[in-house]
Amino acid sequence: MSGTVEKGRGSGPNRQMLRRALALMGLCGIAAFLVLLIRLYKLQITDHEFYEELAIGQQLREAAASPSRGTIYDTNMNPLAVSASVDNVYLSPAEIQMYGEDRELIARGLSQILGLDYDDILEKTGRTGSWYVTVARKVEAEQAAEVRRFKTDNGLKGVRLETDTKRYYPNSSLACHLIGFVGTDNTGLEGIEAKYNSALAGSAGRTLRATNAYGTELLFTSFEEYSPGKDGCDLVLTVDSTIQYYVEKHLKQAVEDYDIQNGAGAIAMDVNTGGILAMASIEGYDLNDFLAVSDEAQALINAAASEEEATALLQQAQARQWRNKALSDTYEPGSTFKIITLSMALEEGAVDLTDSFYCGGNVSVLGRTSPIRCWKDGGHGSQNLTQAVQHSCNVAFVNIGLRVGAETFYQYCEAFGFLNLSADPDENLTATTGIDLAGESGSIWWSRNTFCSEKNLSQLAAASFGQTFTITPLQLITAVSACVNGGRLMQPYVVRQLRNPDGTVAYAREPTLVRQVISGETSAKVRSILEQVVGDPMDGTGRNAAVAGYRIGGKTGTSEKVSLEAQTGEKEYIVSFIGFAPADDPKIALLVFLDTPSNKSGVYISGGQMAAPVVGNMMADILPYLGVEPEGAEGAGADVTVPDFTALGREELSAAVKEAGLDYRTIGEGDSVTGQLPAAGASIAEGSQIILYFDAQVSPDRETVPELTGMSYAQARDTLSYYGIYIHATSPVTDAGTQKVSSQSIQPGCLVGHGSIVEVTLFSDDDSMLGRY
Amino acid sequence: MRYDSARLAGFSDTAVKERRAPFDTPFFLLVLLLLSLGVVMVLSASFARAYYDPGNITGGNAAYYFVRQLLFALLGTGGMLLASKLPMSLYRRGAFPFLTFALLLLMLVPFIGVKVNGARRWLGVGGLTLQPSELAKLAVILSFSALICRMRGRMKTFRYGILPFAALLCAIVGLLVLEPHFSASVIIIAIGGVMLFLGGVRLGWFIGAAAAAGSALAVLLAFFPYASSRITTWRDPFSSSSDEGYQIVQSLYSIGSGGLSGLGLGGSRQKYLYLPEEHNDFIFAVVCEELGFIGAALILTLFALLILRGFWIALHCRDRYDFLVCAGISSLLALQVFLNVAVVTNLVPCTGISLPFFSYGGTALLIQLGEMGIILSASRTILIEK
Repeated sequence: MSGTVEKGRGSGPNRQMLRRALALMGLCGIAAFLVLLIRLYKLQITDHEFYEELAIGQQLREAAASPSRGTIYDTNMNPLAVSASVDNVYLSPAEIQMYGEDRELIARGLSQILGLDYDDILEKTGRTGSWYVTVARKVEAEQAAEVRRFKTDNGLKGVRLETDTKRYYPNSSLACHLIGFVGTDNTGLEGIEAKYNSALAGSAGRTLRATNAYGTELLFTSFEEYSPGKDGCDLVLTVDSTIQYYVEKHLKQAVEDYDIQNGAGAIAMDVNTGGILAMASIEGYDLNDFLAVSDEAQALINAAASEEEATALLQQAQARQWRNKALSDTYEPGSTFKIITLSMALEEGAVDLTDSFYCGGNVSVLGRTSPIRCWKDGGHGSQNLTQAVQHSCNVAFVNIGLRVGAETFYQYCEAFGFLNLSADPDENLTATTGIDLAGESGSIWWSRNTFCSEKNLSQLAAASFGQTFTITPLQLITAVSACVNGGRLMQPYVVRQLRNPDGTVAYAREPTLVRQVISGETSAKVRSILEQVVGDPMDGTGRNAAVAGYRIGGKTGTSEKVSLEAQTGEKEYIVSFIGFAPADDPKIALLVFLDTPSNKSGVYISGGQMAAPVVGNMMADILPYLGVEPEGAEGAGADVTVPDFTALGREELSAAVKEAGLDYRTIGEGDSVTGQLPAAGASIAEGSQIILYFDAQVSPDRETVPELTGMSYAQARDTLSYYGIYIHATSPVTDAGTQKVSSQSIQPGCLVGHGSIVEVTLFSDDDSMLGRY
Repeated sequence: MRYDSARLAGFSDTAVKERRAPFDTPFFLLVLLLLSLGVVMVLSASFARAYYDPGNITGGNAAYYFVRQLLFALLGTGGMLLASKLPMSLYRRGAFPFLTFALLLLMLVPFIGVKVNGARRWLGVGGLTLQPSELAKLAVILSFSALICRMRGRMKTFRYGILPFAALLCAIVGLLVLEPHFSASVIIIAIGGVMLFLGGVRLGWFIGAAAAAGSALAVLLAFFPYASSRITTWRDPFSSSSDEGYQIVQSLYSIGSGGLSGLGLGGSRQKYLYLPEEHNDFIFAVVCEELGFIGAALILTLFALLILRGFWIALHCRDRYDFLVCAGISSLLALQVFLNVAVVTNLVPCTGISLPFFSYGGTALLIQLGEMGIILSASRTILIEK
């Protein structure tokens, strides 16, 4: 091979080379690009939406502008639940790592400001794969400001805050079961907060914006879409906090006085509208700390053998305290249901005021092997209708029920909202009131075939005095309100107004008439009979609910918890009282039920002895608050107002004190009165011994209040006078010798100054009152 | 014919110069067009990263990468014109010294190389960095072409047609494996293969080489978990979209969300720190996102035209050496473009290959433009038939 050939024409590419170059040209210049174009077509055209969605999913950050949750007001616009702005503090460990921020500094700063564990926060700063690790939720404004300062002072990008809202309940536990509470995500979990969650919550505004991978804004291409939110509506309730307070106060007192084992409940209803004025259930809880349980329950939990047991106990205790017994428990109402039987019998003309009922102590009923016994051994003898109700006579009511007849009885039960008749005669029956609260239970009644059997009247007979079925306390008070308000069954409700955030009314609820059940005349008869149950100091089984100066009607109830007796062998009771006032033109109905009083409390277990005084005490507070004028001489014969005896001489004194209806003793040697106990103007029991000081000062000593429960009124008055403490009865004093003290406003053992006044509740304790009626 | 005979007759220089053909204008214009598009895309793709500056490089100057790329583009254009002026004989004579120089630099890399992401691939020269592997690619083309010309008919034998080339390739690839630099090794081997293919080596060798490469790959996958995890990521990038698959998944998001017509120039959202290497190896994903399928297809078409024109020039070269160099450089360009786009579209497993004229990188751009200059120089020797 010579060099000359190489440099000549032969040095060009040969045929094979050109062929191969052409092949390579097709491969590199055409085939390869076709492959790429097909691939791009697949990604950009065929799968475009798939990738676009994923890309947008990571590029867009949604910032929810959390709407302000509506305020809940009571009927007088006192706030019951309000929302305030707080901050959540979180870390972005990925950025802490990216910017090389001092983890220990962050952990130290945050643990100091927020009072949290240093090691815990330090561990969180190390989760570098994450952009969001929560450190503290719902931090108050002051602490949040400190965190913000700490963040700016140290230029920390990895420490972040976001706005959130927190719910506050200014009255802590007041009306807790009605109001309910919200979870950490601000969703209502119980009560009105749950039932009206969507109205209260409003809708979140959303800011959708494109961000870079670090979550901050893009430079020039700012894509932002804002959809405005709507703040939640405010709610105005029918509930009156003052009435709620009185109801809770006396209910708590009763639970303590009678050592109630299984909780208690009370409902106050506007008789004419069905609006709930108050609803209480015990035990209650602090809405601001709704997870915390009572000290006793906590002690049990602390003593638990295992972690699982402790958790189970805690959950049980929480479920128990959150349960609204007035709404969620069903019970056999017992004698309070006689109001319903009475109303239907009067409306049907099955009985009349002049009818006479004989009670020989028991009554035989078709289908029962043993006769039904009256609560009173030996029976009530001959009674007219009013007396039969006053006595709460079971025998008389069995006869009244039989006169009404099973079919008619069930039709009225349906009309009163206790059950819904079904097309299937073998189906057990139930109903609810449809109140606007979460957690309402339904009643349980026998099927129509069982109840209306012609061969067996035992179900009808027992139902006539309120047994063999269960209803909720709310159903009972709703029906009884209809019995005394002119016959109109109103649907119970709690929220009367929804207000827009600007204060305008979005929705105002009118009272809902469900149906007219009985006539106005029948209702008037029922009212007057029930007034005799409370107002008759000699014959009324409800007389312990009487309040001096007020006309109150009502009915007692004592029901045995049959199912429980079968389990434990011990007799357990639910005692209750339902009252209304004023008896001639009712405004308010009150139902109190106490579940399982202890038989060691010293008070006879019955609705008349235990529940009636509680309703009386509530009425004594509520009626003046509602502006109901007392009638007649207030506390006739019970209290006197202490005159001013100062500067009187020893001679004039005796007559003056006697004239005031008081007794006295003196301390000191002077000639004229320089001081007196109690001060002029105090209202104290007639016959109390006052102390008059001659040239001496009222002793600054404090005295220990003695135990008064179980003493007669006169005994209690004299015992207190000895200590220079005075007594005032909230119940009418009809017989100072036999009426006994059932509870006192200042607990035994408390230290009080001379001249203090202890309020007491009295109950009649003669033999006629001892029974399960 | 007049030109040819004039040269053969040894006419004076001035007379030759007057009749000398200008370089290939379509090729030159295609290069300029792609280069301009590339610089604009560097601006669009890089400004977010330059502005946010997560790596503390730019000091927040959004135009940081763009200005540098623009300077190198201008410098490179000058270099290309200069390279086009130099005669092909110079490149032939300089082929082996250049290869020696590239090998020397490659040998320096393991000792004084700059370490980035666990691999030493760069040499620092003043403020600049250089990948000697880029030089090695050109050196392989130039030297193999020269060798092939010398071997002529002996290319069919093992001793002359395979052995010297294989020895050279082994030396270069061995040095690259030390760095390690997988993608450069693949390209060097491929371009070596292309040169031998053009040079007339028996096709049987290629079948054998393919079989050997296949089994080597199988061994690699079986014994190196790192390599096999790449394959897993390739097959299903979404299964590890937060770690190994992150880059390719982000790339697919960019390309896919571009759709038919794209989000508009400058409108990419993925470049806001979602997509890593967005102004670098993955710049084509931003192109697809902003300019859509239409824009991406157009740019690929421009590349295809440039490559076809390169081959066209090669086929028209009268000198075997010129032919080999032009075809080699065109093949290298095609290989780079294909592999880059194939990587960002997840057609092949992820590896670091830059897109010529588009990816940010000054020295690489200079070398690429230099290569274009060599083709332009060769284009001057083509006969113009009037």
